[in-house]
Amino acid sequence: MTSVKRLQLTLAIMKPHVVSCPFSLLDIRRTILDNGFYVVRSVRQTIQLEQAERFYSEHKTKFFYNRLITFMTSGPSEAYILAREDAIAVWRRLMGPTKVFQSQLSHPDCIRARHGLTDTRNATHGSDSDESVRKEVNIMIPQFSFEHWNQIEEPLFRNGKVQFNKDQFIHVLHS
Amino acid sequence: MSNMLLSQLLRLFNKTNCSVCSKRYSDVKVKSKDVDPFMVPYSNSPKDQQRLYVWGMAEHGALGDLKIRSRERNIQFIYRPVRMRFAYSHKIMDLACGYGFTVYAVDSNQYKLFGCGLNTDSQIGYHDPRKGYPLGLILATVPIQLPLEQLNTKVKAVAAGRAHTLVLTNTDDVYALGSNCYGQCGRPIIENEDYTKLRNVNSITLDDGIAKIICGQDHSLFITKTGKVYSCGWGADGQTGLGHYNNEFHPTVIEGDIKGQTIVKVVSSADCVLALNDKGEVFGWGNSEYGQLLLNDDKYQVNIPRNLPLKKSIGKIIDIGTTGSACIVLNDEGVVYVWGFGILGKGPEINRSREPTPIPPILFGRNQYNTETKVKSVSCSLFHMAAITTEGNLYTWGKNKWGQLGLGHTKDQYFPLQVSVGASVKKVSCGVDHMAALCKPYQ
Repeated sequence: MTSVKRLQLTLAIMKPHVVSCPFSLLDIRRTILDNGFYVVRSVRQTIQLEQAERFYSEHKTKFFYNRLITFMTSGPSEAYILAREDAIAVWRRLMGPTKVFQSQLSHPDCIRARHGLTDTRNATHGSDSDESVRKEVNIMIPQFSFEHWNQIEEPLFRNGKVQFNKDQFIHVLHS
Repeated sequence: MSNMLLSQLLRLFNKTNCSVCSKRYSDVKVKSKDVDPFMVPYSNSPKDQQRLYVWGMAEHGALGDLKIRSRERNIQFIYRPVRMRFAYSHKIMDLACGYGFTVYAVDSNQYKLFGCGLNTDSQIGYHDPRKGYPLGLILATVPIQLPLEQLNTKVKAVAAGRAHTLVLTNTDDVYALGSNCYGQCGRPIIENEDYTKLRNVNSITLDDGIAKIICGQDHSLFITKTGKVYSCGWGADGQTGLGHYNNEFHPTVIEGDIKGQTIVKVVSSADCVLALNDKGEVFGWGNSEYGQLLLNDDKYQVNIPRNLPLKKSIGKIIDIGTTGSACIVLNDEGVVYVWGFGILGKGPEINRSREPTPIPPILFGRNQYNTETKVKSVSCSLFHMAAITTEGNLYTWGKNKWGQLGLGHTKDQYFPLQVSVGASVKKVSCGVDHMAALCKPYQ
């Protein structure tokens, strides 16, 4: 009997300058769907200062902390919970290296090279591990229940018992 | 046989068509009031003519009505210069390309400011053909309303950032449109303000009178008539130069090394700022992650202007420019120097330079037959650079994702190459993903 590979979750954030630019936003959304991700949750919100401080607490001592916080809270952004086998690694590979000016030369086809503007305005965020997914989802989409996902939603998503809602950019379970 | 018949038929058809046309037009006397301002030339004098060329990303509408007018409706970008009719009917005083939008200052008694492109932060005004539903994308060049007090006020200059526009009038007032999320429009920041439905235009005045306006991505700079520099907006990289890293909404005078200097030009396309004084010395502040500010210590952010230690051999600087990760200066002999990181214009092998190094003048057309050819001015956007020579030729190099170099392809360009613009280029504005050039026709 072959073991079933479960879907992994990751958190993706479309940063404010992408959300205010329809072409970039649609292009990134298309990339997400083309690469076989399920969009489990999709939330548009303006990140509050307190949320951003908790979200980036690990960078507190870095020189770019202040500009990252002020940038993320500057306007509406979109947070997606994405599901796929090996979602974290695939999403990070699609995004490319953090620094836009360097990724433009080394990985010209990645999302950040295509739609990033500067090293801070680098288009998207992606979680780096299962633990940070839990932490980041709790900050950005606190109403999401991992328990409910593991027990009920995950098998249904894995077996494709979902349909895509184009307007809200989210996959919903068949009723 | 059938061919001949067909051609005769066609000729007959054309003839009748023609006579109908001419009759129709000669009969109708158009009242001067009803004339479509887009269809008549702004001047009949052959000496007073200009050409406007645009190219790059068309998806946002920053190239005006090219996207909806073209036969293939789904064009995404245009990688070679296209002449715009707009300059035939409107005398353009200044133009500025932002991120996905373009604004034009026009010499006219009616509408003085036009814009097209991305409008999700109301950076080109409030336009709602359906009441209450303002447009976020405008795919044609439309007039922008300004709350001018007098009818004869003229718009002198425009500047465009990532999501805001500055407009300078001849009465020394500056009007700011668009996103104010960091205070870049010079008014207090309102939390959770909805910029998509912004109706009000903020007016800024300074005691000394404003001579020039400059937009960074998310900050604004003003040069006064006395040569001082004021700034407001995002300061997280020190790009406001005010000695701190906070947002500043009140335009405040910048001191540091530029105190007492007469500043004639300031440039900023991302978060690094360069300033030039009347003696040809260069100052800089803001982001220096790629060594743009030539600092000895590995400091990434500078919040107070510093005099750049340029070598004496470079001579007197007459023009400056910054991309997001590199700087460019032009000396009075017409030689261009570059440093920083990215595509510098010195071939595919060199993408980092800690010291200013010259780009060989031969690449800008100076050779044994044209010994007098010099670079006259330089300009930059986030990822590419441009230079205009004394002969009115335009050269571009850098990243070319959406054809914004206008070279007829979308491959990156590693050394300066001439753009085939069919006129003598006078002024060019580099946007993040498109460009516009104001030209004079060849005589």
